[in-house]
Amino acid sequence: MLLRSVYNEFVKIAAKPRSYLGLGSIIVLVGIILFALKADGLSFISFVTASFEQTLVFEGNILNGNLVAFIILQMLIIHIPLLVALVTGDLVSGEAAMGTIRMLLTKPISRTKLLLSKFIAGGVYTLMITLLLGFMAVVVGKLMFGSGDLIVLNSDGLVILQQDDINWRYAGGFTVAFLALLTVSSISICLSCFTDNSIGPIVATMAIIILFTIIGTLDVKIFDNIRPYLFTTHMASWRSFFEDPLPKDQIVKSVVILLAHNILLVTISIIQFNKKDITS
Amino acid sequence: MRLILTSIIVLLALHSIKAQDAQKTIDALTSKMNSVNDYSVNVIIKADIPMLKVLPVNATIYFKQKDKFNIVSKGIAIMPKQGFTDITKLLSKKESYTALATGNETIMNSLTEIITILPSGDTSDFILAKLWIDSKENILLKSQITSRTNGTMNIDYAYGAQKKYGLPDKVVFTVDVKKFKIPKGVATDINRTTTVDANKPVSKVGKIYLQFSNYLVNKGLSDNVFRKR
Repeated sequence: MLLRSVYNEFVKIAAKPRSYLGLGSIIVLVGIILFALKADGLSFISFVTASFEQTLVFEGNILNGNLVAFIILQMLIIHIPLLVALVTGDLVSGEAAMGTIRMLLTKPISRTKLLLSKFIAGGVYTLMITLLLGFMAVVVGKLMFGSGDLIVLNSDGLVILQQDDINWRYAGGFTVAFLALLTVSSISICLSCFTDNSIGPIVATMAIIILFTIIGTLDVKIFDNIRPYLFTTHMASWRSFFEDPLPKDQIVKSVVILLAHNILLVTISIIQFNKKDITS
Repeated sequence: MRLILTSIIVLLALHSIKAQDAQKTIDALTSKMNSVNDYSVNVIIKADIPMLKVLPVNATIYFKQKDKFNIVSKGIAIMPKQGFTDITKLLSKKESYTALATGNETIMNSLTEIITILPSGDTSDFILAKLWIDSKENILLKSQITSRTNGTMNIDYAYGAQKKYGLPDKVVFTVDVKKFKIPKGVATDINRTTTVDANKPVSKVGKIYLQFSNYLVNKGLSDNVFRKR
């Protein structure tokens, strides 16, 4: 029954035009970035390497598919949550607003299972968004620019990763990025359980991301204790896969915190959804 | 008065003799360098530079007289901007510099002549070069190039089987890295929970090690290998 409900939920997502807005946006945005980098990518990179190039020369194909994919990920991972929330934010409240939730709950399925099916369908959509971003950035990027070593700029300097050592880093990076986006999906579905209008949870999700990002960026001592536990702090943990040596502890900590957020949000949602008054 | 004049003349004569001796040593060195019309060589490039993490890279270097030079590597190789062919280029233009013998020093059990090269004009980027030349073997054992844009760079050479051509088996570049700055807006990782220790001393020099093998000297090289891909 759960699987059937997941299928139904996914059909509903697929029927909404806004679901394609996210997928289309990724294709257009990545396409624009790829075109811009193809046209004038070297001057873009020289902004980063200029200081080193006064004394040193980087021999080899610097502007390659691996670097292009990294730049795209860095640029877009901040905006993708909006595309996710746009679809997942009204999975519950949209049904409440249209009144279809009453009919839905007449089916022989528990509220918990119904809500879980919405979470799973939202997760599948998030996975599709992540995979499309990965395909456009890594596969199309490599087709257009070729492969090569990856230059990554961290706050303590430049790291050059050899091309044979990169694909697994992207796989790990995208897994963590998916987990971060899944947290955004969970937040929006959770907020969606508390309201009966579609826009509220979407806007509230973005407001939470902005607020937490600002708290994370502000170098103020009062936030030092909460900063490590904010999900936004771990949203860019995919970047840790491109450090050498690999900060395993940091990655595990981020994964645990993101998973904990998801479990907590699903639990809160189930409690709220089971208490939700659908008769009025 | 006569004594002063005599002293000046003697000093000028000595300076001229020193310059002539230095030029003779350089001529012998350049003649050995010019005996190599072209070469290709495999090289392992290892960089030990602050703020830069890179694994050793295998590459092939191609050189053809007068100034054709290319490095072909599968990955990204870090090389010094100056120093590889600059000395050859500089020494080939006699009119652009003045050479002075400024002493002797023993390097790796070889007595070397220290020759200081001063540019004739004041418009070039290069300010000063010091060469430690083993005048017995006519090979360069050490050099120091000071330029306006790159600061000072030291180069140490070690020779093996290709000593007869003046081609080294090992070269170590010591570069000035004081100027390396990471653009903060780009490098700042807002999600980083660990911080870089600001008090940790950062070395102000970096080293690039080049280990050469499989020299192919004067075998004839096509111009195609110098086309940048």
